Amino acid sequence: MFAQTAFNGIVTGIIITLPALAVTLLFGVLKFPNFAIGGMMTVAAYMVFALNVQLGWPLVLAAPVIAVVFGCIAIGIDHLTFRPLRERGGITLMVASLGLGLILENIARFVYGNTARSFAYELARPFRFLDIRMNREQMIAMIVAVVAMAAMYVLLTRMPIGRAMRAVADNPALALVRGIESPRIIRWTNFIAGVLITIAGVLVGMDRALEPPVGSNYLVPVFAAAILGGLGSPIGAFAGALIIGVVSELSTLVIPPNYRIGVPLVVIALILIFRPQGLFGQPYIRK
Amino acid sequence: MISYLILMGIVLCILAIVAVALNFQWGSGGMVNFGLAGFYTLGAYTCALLILKAGANTFLATLGAMAMVAAVSAIVALVTLRVTEEDYFAIVTLGVGEMLRLVSLNEDWLTKGALGLTGIPRPMAWLVPVEYYQYFLLALSAALLAGTVWLLRRIGRSPFGRVMRAVREDDVVASTLGKHVLWARVRIFAIGGAFIGLAGSLHAFYYQYIDPTQFSNIVIAYAFMAVIAGGRGALRGSILGATFVMVLLEGSRFAKDLIPALESDQLAAIRIIIIGVGLILVLTYRPQGFLREYLLQVDLNSGKIKA
Repeated sequence: MFAQTAFNGIVTGIIITLPALAVTLLFGVLKFPNFAIGGMMTVAAYMVFALNVQLGWPLVLAAPVIAVVFGCIAIGIDHLTFRPLRERGGITLMVASLGLGLILENIARFVYGNTARSFAYELARPFRFLDIRMNREQMIAMIVAVVAMAAMYVLLTRMPIGRAMRAVADNPALALVRGIESPRIIRWTNFIAGVLITIAGVLVGMDRALEPPVGSNYLVPVFAAAILGGLGSPIGAFAGALIIGVVSELSTLVIPPNYRIGVPLVVIALILIFRPQGLFGQPYIRK
Repeated sequence: MISYLILMGIVLCILAIVAVALNFQWGSGGMVNFGLAGFYTLGAYTCALLILKAGANTFLATLGAMAMVAAVSAIVALVTLRVTEEDYFAIVTLGVGEMLRLVSLNEDWLTKGALGLTGIPRPMAWLVPVEYYQYFLLALSAALLAGTVWLLRRIGRSPFGRVMRAVREDDVVASTLGKHVLWARVRIFAIGGAFIGLAGSLHAFYYQYIDPTQFSNIVIAYAFMAVIAGGRGALRGSILGATFVMVLLEGSRFAKDLIPALESDQLAAIRIIIIGVGLILVLTYRPQGFLREYLLQVDLNSGKIKA
């Protein structure tokens, strides 16, 4: 029972990693917590649903296509909503992102209603390994998420665009001096966030059902993961997500499962009290 | 039609109290509250439970609800703000709000879960004849709204109000001047919270029946919209803002007449989309809102204070 719950926690954690990475990248470059990612996850997942179920595309084809399309949409969204507010400070952007999240979630609700739906893919029998039951969906989620994370690691450490992203996140003024154009980096960051969010939306939709609040339900754990790891730190987002996933699932052995969402909250509170910069974040120096 | 307008008037007053309270916390004090829906739920349930389970009268129950929400708000602010920045505070309030709503949904022994609480009595129902009661409730709500605005404005213009604005503008400067920033923030959040509790109580009295579905996160969007449209820091502006939101909401009801094919889910979705789009448009194109914040200005030549 313990091993099974821990395994489920690892899967949840790995799925959370992707949006947590998106949050942390966006925060690093744009310096505000983007609450719209919940709504974005929902819309992206429904777009995949449209291709997959309504047009009959296989999921392996529909998901990557929408990931790229939604990456572009994320750039568009940023351009329309956040760019005009960029100079207004974090709180304004935060409120705007909350509004945007509501808009996106309700666009999905308007088109597809409140009924729970699921993607069309072949179901397979779960298999057992050392008494742990693993669904095929869980295995797929793990593999896809790990590959996506490996790709992100290579991108951020080995490729010019990733290094430029980290430079802008670290010190925008210095990055500018070195000739890095921040608008281009912001576009790329949004694109990558859009791709990550789409993959996360599909994995969550496979793991549970697909309904309009699917994304916003993950908002608190995702932010908890990003904060735990240190907002702005990609490696931290990964570690934070795993911890949040495992601890939340294990907590259901002792507390009613309905209050699972309380666990990330307690984790945030503890982290803020004892280590505000997060596990991997730099101590924040206020200027 | 008159009856409809009266009911809308009551709902408007409740929304306006929430908006004024949020404006106090966020507009004047710079503390963003994304857990608004949860605190509002807490107020309504505390009030209803105090009456139904503890046998309190409506007046005491309302005070109890205000005290409860104020206390929880104070704790949230105290724990989170000891070390942290506003970004984290927003996330914590969001999570706490979510938790409060979950409690109302899951603790069946206390809140009857999804069934909700029924038979909530109304204030002074024994005094006012039933056929006039809605007028009375409107008058009461309006009076409470006026009282809220009056009191919070008084606070805003007191020395503490200046501390509030100083903390909002730059907490480092405020603390350099010897102001206790954390304590100020805890008080700002608790005072605002008390009035969110008041609005929650009125909600319980108005509907006489509360269940968790009444308290979705949409309340947050309505309140933020009202505050932004009315002007941050301008408490009376929030009443205007709340009116604006109500007009948008009720106006979109007529979309059903225009496009009969819409289902009720879709209609609800459209109303939220309208509010969300409105929020972003107002933030972008009219960030200062309808009314200006009250700020004292000192004429440096004559040394006179202008309001």
